Amino acid sequence: MKMLAIETTTAASSVALADGDDLVASAHRVDRRGHVGFLVPALGFCFAQAGWEPDNVDVVAIDVGPGLFSGIRAGLATAQAVAGAVGAQLVPVSSVDAVAMRAATGHRKIWSLVDTRRGEIAVGRYQPVPGGVVRDGSTELCTPDELRAMIEEDASQALIVGDWAALPDDALHGLHAVKTGRPRFPDASAVLEIARGIVQRGELPHPDDVRPHYMRDPDVTINWTDYRSEGPWQ
Amino acid sequence: MSDSPLVLGFETSCDETAVAVTRGFEVLSNVMASQVDDHARFGGVVPEVAARAHVEAIRSLTHAALREAGVHSMDLAAVAATQGPGLAGALMVGFSYGKALAWALQVPFVGIDHMEGHLFAPRLEHDEYQPPAVVLLASGGHSQIIHMRDWGSYETLGATIDDAAGEAFDKLARFLGLGYPGGPAIDAESDDGDPRVVRFPRALPDRPFDFSFSGLKTAVVTYVRRHHAAGTLPAMPDIAASVQEAIVDVLVTKTLNAAEETGVPTVAAGGGVLANRRLRVRLAEECDARGLRLFLPSPALCTDNGAMIGAAAAFRLGRGESTSAEAEIDSSRRLSES
Ligand SMILES: [Zn+2]
Repeated sequence: MKMLAIETTTAASSVALADGDDLVASAHRVDRRGHVGFLVPALGFCFAQAGWEPDNVDVVAIDVGPGLFSGIRAGLATAQAVAGAVGAQLVPVSSVDAVAMRAATGHRKIWSLVDTRRGEIAVGRYQPVPGGVVRDGSTELCTPDELRAMIEEDASQALIVGDWAALPDDALHGLHAVKTGRPRFPDASAVLEIARGIVQRGELPHPDDVRPHYMRDPDVTINWTDYRSEGPWQ
Repeated sequence: MSDSPLVLGFETSCDETAVAVTRGFEVLSNVMASQVDDHARFGGVVPEVAARAHVEAIRSLTHAALREAGVHSMDLAAVAATQGPGLAGALMVGFSYGKALAWALQVPFVGIDHMEGHLFAPRLEHDEYQPPAVVLLASGGHSQIIHMRDWGSYETLGATIDDAAGEAFDKLARFLGLGYPGGPAIDAESDDGDPRVVRFPRALPDRPFDFSFSGLKTAVVTYVRRHHAAGTLPAMPDIAASVQEAIVDVLVTKTLNAAEETGVPTVAAGGGVLANRRLRVRLAEECDARGLRLFLPSPALCTDNGAMIGAAAAFRLGRGESTSAEAEIDSSRRLSES
């Protein structure tokens, strides 16, 4: 099984190829702007490296968020186009899962963070198990204060991974039993690994159901005055 | 151009997700998913709402465009997508999709200027449409007058200094309680109205090719408040028709100023505002009176569509041009003058 993974939900962008269990090519870059300019050249680079043609791909794994809205869409549109053109299966993966997947495991509970901007972060909790991590509850969107309260309330020792550097300086200050660690961003190679498990379990979605995981409604500010509410018609 | 290459064109610069298959200037399919209902409750296009709707629609619309044209993606010779100007988040969806599709099919990709797309739209229905021409482009996002010296050689003669014409329709329809989108709402309301009942101001008389609509908006708001309070407000159809006449009059007058100044024999137009019936009639009458040839796309090709992107791409590809894989969107792109 030949798999392609695309990851653009944070300031980092990455692409990776796997043939069965083997990672055969990858490319990545950290630059919040420029997901669109990165992706196709990265695909070209990786496919040349692996000696593949686009239509060799059986599965396109895509990180659908949460994260930067525009990054999520640039990645998903790219993945949809490639999967559609070559008849590959589209498999969605969570950014928070992809970060947790690469956390250095030990006995600590893993808190995986992805910055979603506007003063909020997505957080997922995971228990380390031999060979990986197991999700403990669903992904939540919270403010730094709410995150701190959640960590304080949880008695277990914590390893915080992901974009904790995007938190305010004092967000984790004075919390005992808390360590911070890597990775900072999700990566396509982790997306590949998670997608492989999804394919092996046969949990393949319909392509219409592979959608962005924004976790927040759009801002609906129109940049002009609502004349009607001022007008004589009310 | 029956031996021209098959192009799949994407247009996602604003609130229409549009995909088309074209061969040269022949339209094989032209499908779109309008987001009007998504934006109606906000009374205007919300950028994040638009971007979300594009990514939901683009995959199935691509299949629909290919199916309707009776072609397989393997038959495509190139893929094109709008690169700008437009809403960044919206542009990014079609541009990413188009670029990746071209890569996967191993065919050239062309990023197209949205305005150049509009300039080519009349060509899809009229073989005789040729430069030199003066072209009025008016929509919710843009209002300008372009002197097309030749295909690919453009000069922007005038533009709006504040709101776009479509935006003026939206804001005024909203103020008048006529609904969204404003252009069709005011057009419909004007049916039984007399455009001579109120003479609203025509802005910028000393700038022959430029538009301004914010003064009109203020004038209408002031007029309505005053006459509503005094109990002397004319019937709504008369107000709507008068507002419409003020916008249409400015668009027509300045377009004809440009035609006279440049001495071109041909006038064309595009953009969603050109669906307005009064504007179409006035342009036809005035061009007729001056012996100018007028090319107006049918309403489906006036609004943003994928076929016009495919048509502009046919021209660019014919010149041996394509766009690099590293290209980004350019949301504030200006029509190139070369
Ligand atoms: Zn347009």
